[in-house]
Amino acid sequence: MTIHTSVVAGRRDLSPSAFELRLARPAGFTFRPGQHLRLFLEERERDYTLTSGPEDPDLAILVRRVAGGRVSSRLAAAETGVPLRFSGPHGRFLFSPSPRKPVFVATGTGIAPFVAMVRSGVRGGTVLHGVRHSEDLYYQDVLGAGAGGFVACVSGEGGLEGPGLFPGRVTGFLKNRFSGGPYDFYLCGRQEMVRDVTRLVDERFSGSLVFTEVFF
Amino acid sequence: MKIYTKTGDRGRTGLFSGERVSKADTRVSAYGTVDELNSVLGVLAACVAGDFGGAAGAIRRIQSDLFRLGAWFATSPGTPAFEDLPGLDPEAVTWMETEIDRMESELPPLRGFILPGGHPAAAWAHLARTVCRRAERRGVAFLEAAPSAEADETLASAIVYLNRLSDYLFVLARHLNRLAGRKDERWDPGAP
Repeated sequence: MTIHTSVVAGRRDLSPSAFELRLARPAGFTFRPGQHLRLFLEERERDYTLTSGPEDPDLAILVRRVAGGRVSSRLAAAETGVPLRFSGPHGRFLFSPSPRKPVFVATGTGIAPFVAMVRSGVRGGTVLHGVRHSEDLYYQDVLGAGAGGFVACVSGEGGLEGPGLFPGRVTGFLKNRFSGGPYDFYLCGRQEMVRDVTRLVDERFSGSLVFTEVFF
Repeated sequence: MKIYTKTGDRGRTGLFSGERVSKADTRVSAYGTVDELNSVLGVLAACVAGDFGGAAGAIRRIQSDLFRLGAWFATSPGTPAFEDLPGLDPEAVTWMETEIDRMESELPPLRGFILPGGHPAAAWAHLARTVCRRAERRGVAFLEAAPSAEADETLASAIVYLNRLSDYLFVLARHLNRLAGRKDERWDPGAP
């Protein structure tokens, strides 16, 4: 396993609970959208999905601030130029074109691989981003512009339904607002969401494919 | 990390290529049996660790091959996921044949059926051999049920691998008994 050494190239707050960290791309480093890096900090290691496009000059990862989490706290405080070690790219959660329309379903920071896919030119799919509060709808600009349809599923605020906005969980949207038919589902996020959407696919979207990346 | 996702609670499971299939599907049966074989080999490896002329290293190599082989059965041929799968070491079957010849050269000729057993390590090797044969049968059943050009080439090589592996495990069982100072026990058709 090759360990790369890079430096922090910048940081951008996305919401009170998440930020994007940019790393200088090591010479010759390539990856495919949907893959992740394994960062090594002190004695700890953490996996972070790349959100940058494969051709972007820097590597970008999406980091969730974990209360009391030593790694995310260190990364949140990392100044530009600070060295970081990582391995990768890892993972097989990759987009494959097919005759079926893709449906990208994420909760929280599970949106990261889909940002990389849209930034790499994937078009024509529906993106569902499930969050509790609308302040966590990071990358809406990228996804809204690039995806065939973007729906923010906000479960914790109530409110009215509107274009691109569903007041509830992603499973509620798929159950009540999404027409049946075979799709290619790409699921990334919390275990409960992956479980519930997979069951929905079995019940309502026969003939669909399901690709998953679970954040436990 | 939790091991359970609960996506399979209703009798269905997902393939690497994305399809949702019944857990009774022939291919699930095939890769499940490869997994079972790998687990039996894990017991065998634990049994011979630090002894038996480095047999554990050979078993670890086979276990690694079986992960690749199981992935083939868990992925639909012709899909991008199938094309992405790592192949087997092209020398894997030749290596087993060389090892079979080496071990056999040190064994007395076989003049009849032998009872599976002897030293516990040899007994596990015999059990692994029979699970390997079942994996082979289920692989053949899958191949015959869903033939395709892509499947034929790759999965046929998996069948060759499993066929040779069960031969290897038979000879390995005898080899382990020899190293343990145990004689093979011949089956006596007339015994009660």
